Amino acid sequence: MRTVYLVAMREFLENAATKGFWIGILLFPLMILASLYATRFLEKATPTRQFVLVDQSGELEKVIVEGLEREHQGQVLEALIGYSQKHSKILQASVADIDLEKMPAEGIEEHVKRLLESNPEVLDGFIAKSGLQPALDELKPLLKDDAPAFEEPRRRFVRVDLPAGVRADQDVDDLVKELRSYLKGDSSLEHEGRKVELFAAILIPKDVLAHVQRPGLKSLLANLQRQGIQYWASNLADKDLKSSVERVVNDEIRRREFLGQKLDIDKVRAVQATRVPFASLNPKKAEGKEEVSIADVIRQWAPVGFVYLLWIAIFTISQMLLNNTIEEKSNRIIEVLLSSITPGELMMGKLAGIAAVGLTVTGSWILSLVLILKLRAGPESQFAVRLFEVLQTSNLLPAFCVYFLLGYLLYAGIFLAIGSVCNTLKEAQNMMGPVMMILIVPLFTMMFIPKDPNGTLATVLTWIPLYTPFIMMNRAAADPPWFDMIGSLILLVLFTAFVLWMSGRIFRIGILRTGQPPKLLELLRWIKA
Amino acid sequence: MDVGPGFCKDEVEVSGDGRAPRWTERLAVEPRENDSSVIETVLELQNVTKLYGEFRAVDDVSLAIPQGSVYGFLGPNGAGKTTTIRMILEIIKPTSGTIRVFGQPSALLVRERIGYLPEEKGLYKKMTARAIIAYFAGLKGMKRAPARKRAGELLERYGLKDFADKRTEALSKGMGQKVQVLASIAHDPDLVILDEPFSGLDPVNQQVMEELIEDLKSRGRTVLFSTHIMQHAERICDRILLIARGRKLFDGTLAQAKATMPRRVRLETDNDIQKLRALPEVTAVLATDKDGSPSTDGASGPYFELHIRENADPQVILQACFEHGIRLRRLDHSEPSLHEVFVNMVGPEAREVSFR
Repeated sequence: MRTVYLVAMREFLENAATKGFWIGILLFPLMILASLYATRFLEKATPTRQFVLVDQSGELEKVIVEGLEREHQGQVLEALIGYSQKHSKILQASVADIDLEKMPAEGIEEHVKRLLESNPEVLDGFIAKSGLQPALDELKPLLKDDAPAFEEPRRRFVRVDLPAGVRADQDVDDLVKELRSYLKGDSSLEHEGRKVELFAAILIPKDVLAHVQRPGLKSLLANLQRQGIQYWASNLADKDLKSSVERVVNDEIRRREFLGQKLDIDKVRAVQATRVPFASLNPKKAEGKEEVSIADVIRQWAPVGFVYLLWIAIFTISQMLLNNTIEEKSNRIIEVLLSSITPGELMMGKLAGIAAVGLTVTGSWILSLVLILKLRAGPESQFAVRLFEVLQTSNLLPAFCVYFLLGYLLYAGIFLAIGSVCNTLKEAQNMMGPVMMILIVPLFTMMFIPKDPNGTLATVLTWIPLYTPFIMMNRAAADPPWFDMIGSLILLVLFTAFVLWMSGRIFRIGILRTGQPPKLLELLRWIKA
Repeated sequence: MDVGPGFCKDEVEVSGDGRAPRWTERLAVEPRENDSSVIETVLELQNVTKLYGEFRAVDDVSLAIPQGSVYGFLGPNGAGKTTTIRMILEIIKPTSGTIRVFGQPSALLVRERIGYLPEEKGLYKKMTARAIIAYFAGLKGMKRAPARKRAGELLERYGLKDFADKRTEALSKGMGQKVQVLASIAHDPDLVILDEPFSGLDPVNQQVMEELIEDLKSRGRTVLFSTHIMQHAERICDRILLIARGRKLFDGTLAQAKATMPRRVRLETDNDIQKLRALPEVTAVLATDKDGSPSTDGASGPYFELHIRENADPQVILQACFEHGIRLRRLDHSEPSLHEVFVNMVGPEAREVSFR
């Protein structure tokens, strides 16, 4: 046993001294931290877009400018609500106590957004009261004393004047010609004393209202002929400005249609805001608590994260094992080792050493997750803490441990056998091909299985031992039948033992062999020998 | 390459520091006399055969190695030396026959008493020299702290002190090989098995290696090493085993090996030596025109090799030359080198092997 320990210890120390090991350990907490800060960072990182607007019809300019301003005010209001929740004396307690089990699945931000959308008068009121400053003054007494100053979200779209010398009243095609170099980013224009890049040009021809499309076949062809508004931009990915303008203009066009048909615009608006409440219910939950809560959503999708984690962990450390074995073999260190210990001891030592590496890495991930969530107990990580509590109360973590260990032993056995019959990494990669094909399947099915966790695909794959760890991890939250759970576990244990026994036989002979990797038939003979 | 102080015999006695781990105790042991009557047998092979399919890698080899001897394992490439050594160490199992090491049926039972340097040398690239030596010593049963201490001392003694804490990938090939040799003897084994220890070493380090083997011998250890460089074997072996194509050709002392060659006198002359053929002491005459390669190719000189009777005095030849007016440029009746013995015994076999 002492020699097994020595081999394991050496494997562990050697791998723990590699950069990859530390990158593996640190990457995960960094990713969590990044995702905690990412949303805030992304908001700040979104650049301000400058655009020019030429309305030769004179009908829509005011509408667009006001519409974009209203949109911006909406964002300010949203941010203000978030800000007041975060720093309010009164609200603080209630946010911390949000019970995820009862919270609707869509999350608080969407809730606020929906509220604002279906109640435009809130925003109207906010704008009517001339916006931010009065609202802040009103909020002040309700805020905690140490609340930081409110940061107004940046305006995302800024209208700039046409470049000097470009006339607005010329033909649209000529206008485009003159603007082209600005739009392509070859030249920049002045705005408030700074050089800025032109993001987009919105050009509205004189007769735009004559081309308003109404339902019917004709409308399908209209866009082809550039008869309406032209939106010029070389950045195709960021479509926010386009869709905002489109929405604002179309709202206006529809408003005019309503007026033209003598309909009461306020009534129309009210009608548009009506809705029926819609609840998602799950028959598996206790009676009276059937509402699908955010915790349920976490429970349904968290296994996907775990499957991915499991896959990465198993694959990485099995790869380590393979590399190590090939190093020992190609260096012929193996001979010295085998003059001191039996192949069985060597194999056990290697398995244990690499398992320790894997456990250290995954253990440190879980530990850092807990630490980060505990240390950063702000309002947004309250949510994360709840998430962690959900994980704790479900069977996800113990399932992960069991399937990690068994899955690791299973694949380590296969990789060890491959490593022992190959002399170079290149040879090993050839033999790894089929294994990788097998191993890739759970990554494909990972996203489908939560949608039908006890369906045919999931059940069939469960009973293939090579997939059992991943698929059962995937199904863990969906209360799979006991028969599947216990039965596949027993099968997995038996199969793993069989693979280890077999790879032990191959290892014993292959590890000393040089030259061409053996043919399949030869391998079978070794196993029988 | 810097060889450092090399090996110095007095250092053996110096190293005891009173704390007496196993190996320092051992160093104080008096060198055992090589007296065959009281010596136990360290290693014994009986009718050992190893088949790979149809191929007989080792064919019915028996041998016994007495304690304290330096045993040379000679043979051409592919003779089965490495296979035999691997079977001795129980890395592979013989097809038939028995092997006893220190009276035990398995080398693994006495692994702490055996040191092994394999033919193809390699080290963990990312480990330091000190760590590797300590690790292998640990696998052989040494405790961690003494193993590390011992590693440091060995590295210092063999001039690798500056490289002790460097990763072995930074070492030259020769240095790496030295580290591996040290790793194989760090636990002070009673039986040291070295497979081609001289290959890949420069002449200076070959010398260090020879000294190391002699040192082991002087401390009563048994050394078994394989080589195909006869000069080393000739200098340091007590006994040799010659094998070719898996079969044992010879097993015995160096003197016995040389006695298998006919006694001969070598001449170089331009005269006719017909008169010498007639001498009763001379059993055969070989003539050639290429120095050093006596053959029966019928050439008429100027190089001759005269085989003489077991008990004949080579002086007789000289006298006869004098009498018959044969003018000699050279007369040489030194004993044959091991190299000649080797070529004589395995020459035809080795050629066959290389064409197989």
